Amino acid sequence: MKRLLGVALGILTAIGGFLDIGDLVTNAVVGSRFGLSLAWVVAVGVVGICVFASMSGRVAAVSGRATFEIIRERLGPRAAAANLGASFLINLLTLTAEVGGIALALQLASSVEPRLWIPVAAFAVWLVIWRVRFKIMENVTGLLGLCLIAFAVAVFLLGPDWSELAAQVMGQGLPEESTTVYWYYAIALFGAAMTPYEVFFFSSGAVEEGWTVKDLSQSRINVLVGFPLGGLLSVAIAACAAIVLLPQAIQVETLSQVVLPVAIGGGKLLLAFVIVGIVAATFGAALETALSSGYTIAQFFGWSWGKFRKPRAAARFHLTMIICLVVAVGVLMTGVDPVLVTEYSVVFSAVALPLTYLPILIVANDPQYMGEHVNSRVMNAVGSLYLGIILIAALAAIPLMVITGAGA
Amino acid sequence: MNALEPDEPAAGKVLDARLHLLDRQVLDPDDVPVATLADLDLEVAEDGTVTIGAMLFGGVFLARLAGGRPPRSLMHKVPWRDVVEVDQTIHLSVGADGLDATWVERWVRDHVIGRIPGAGHAPE
Amino acid sequence: MLLSDLLDLSVRDHDGTHVGYVIDARFVLDGAPGPTLAGARLHGLLVSPRTHTSMLGYERTGVRAPAPIGAFLGWLHRGTFLVRWPDVARVDDQHLVLRDGYVRVDPGLPSG
Repeated sequence: MKRLLGVALGILTAIGGFLDIGDLVTNAVVGSRFGLSLAWVVAVGVVGICVFASMSGRVAAVSGRATFEIIRERLGPRAAAANLGASFLINLLTLTAEVGGIALALQLASSVEPRLWIPVAAFAVWLVIWRVRFKIMENVTGLLGLCLIAFAVAVFLLGPDWSELAAQVMGQGLPEESTTVYWYYAIALFGAAMTPYEVFFFSSGAVEEGWTVKDLSQSRINVLVGFPLGGLLSVAIAACAAIVLLPQAIQVETLSQVVLPVAIGGGKLLLAFVIVGIVAATFGAALETALSSGYTIAQFFGWSWGKFRKPRAAARFHLTMIICLVVAVGVLMTGVDPVLVTEYSVVFSAVALPLTYLPILIVANDPQYMGEHVNSRVMNAVGSLYLGIILIAALAAIPLMVITGAGA
Repeated sequence: MNALEPDEPAAGKVLDARLHLLDRQVLDPDDVPVATLADLDLEVAEDGTVTIGAMLFGGVFLARLAGGRPPRSLMHKVPWRDVVEVDQTIHLSVGADGLDATWVERWVRDHVIGRIPGAGHAPE
Repeated sequence: MLLSDLLDLSVRDHDGTHVGYVIDARFVLDGAPGPTLAGARLHGLLVSPRTHTSMLGYERTGVRAPAPIGAFLGWLHRGTFLVRWPDVARVDDQHLVLRDGYVRVDPGLPSG
């Protein structure tokens, strides 16, 4: 149990990145349209986020500096401000989606109209940020989020034709889809796996927990457990949709369609598990993005930040998060579909991803920060390769989005 | 490739402003963040020697972003002699609460955040 | 004078030939002793012939990793040099003008 709680930061970070409301739906959409032929993208993304999250965690543990402090310091005010703008919008869009997502998940459980749940959800998120210690917050949401393993259980209970699923992974036996749409979803999945608030949250969380050089192995375990688990569950969601929804050509649009295969495979009990998992995952993602918006702004301007401080000792940090939550509720009250909100964050990822991962890679090589803990050659080789992939994905994202009409 | 003359050995710590000072986090003696260093105010002595007079914070940042000069009233200064140490961050010998550079923080604390119940206790 | 008045200025030699841009300013803590740190004296300016995007210090430290980034930035800033402050003749709004016979000094930072 203690071991499990030790990796809660990694699990919560990964859940927020791979299994937030937008990803839950995107994974099911991908499964219902492309089967498992995009599973390789998730694998590529998992390796990428592991590489950069471990660097950002190592920098935070060794130097005590969180990722956005490094971004500002290395890139200077202009490029860092461009990154801040893009990253902040991603945070805000995702936060808005998650607050709506909590309401949708609670609707599944309670049949109460989501609009009534929205202010309740936002208030609950704020209350946790305001009053609950970081450690408890990550343990509870991380553990409950593990209920999403029900998706993986459902894959087995559905008794699929494994050879057919394997063929899908290789890209065979699937309905015709256009190549541009395929690549649009490939980039969306890659962007979701590597979404920058994961490293903002992970590195700031490392500072919140007071990690030092002694915690480096802990940091590594967090990364190596959390992100592969997140990736595995997102493939499980796609697999569920590929097994149940793909043969019937059902287009996924709502959360109830995402959980339909679980209900078919595992009945009410497993469905209950999944709903608890979705509430926890969206709640966790809401906390992750709300805190990330506070972390990024505070670290950029050099304000006092952190949940380890009294709220009055980090006043602007807390005010930022309150404003973000109020904006999120305001946007949702207009009746916008929370899932659609996240689709547009792909555009901002194109700016934020390279400008986030470049400075991490550079500082992880700087002996002034890292002493003897600078990157190994292997880490540098993989990191440089991924920076190249990120650049290509960033350049391709916007044209593909326009051409495909956001994957329509 | 370069046959440049090597520099004479320095008689003290060498700091390149952009590399080691600008945009770094400034901390008070209790490690409370004060601000990010935005600019330096340089003093020119009669013999032409230039030294750092003060560190600048606040509105200077927006001016640097736009490439112009901020009005003096928007600049918050902390004299260089208040710096204790420069490593990955810049450490001051004076508390954050006494500095002009943090007046917005104090205003938000006293008028907004401090008025919400529970603001005075660390989360549990 | 603000530091930002110097950074990014275009640099000319005494007969008006463009030699580069100021990408950074080097200070040495050897001035009047203060309460804890010595005064910071402006030792010189780093001038890059090609670009005024200051790039992350690769041209001045021994760090070359990760190789592709190190190589690219090293290439971008090839020919970067240090001019000592006494070699600067004058500074106006647009340009920084160097004295006749100024010396181009190796920009490498002392290691450690």
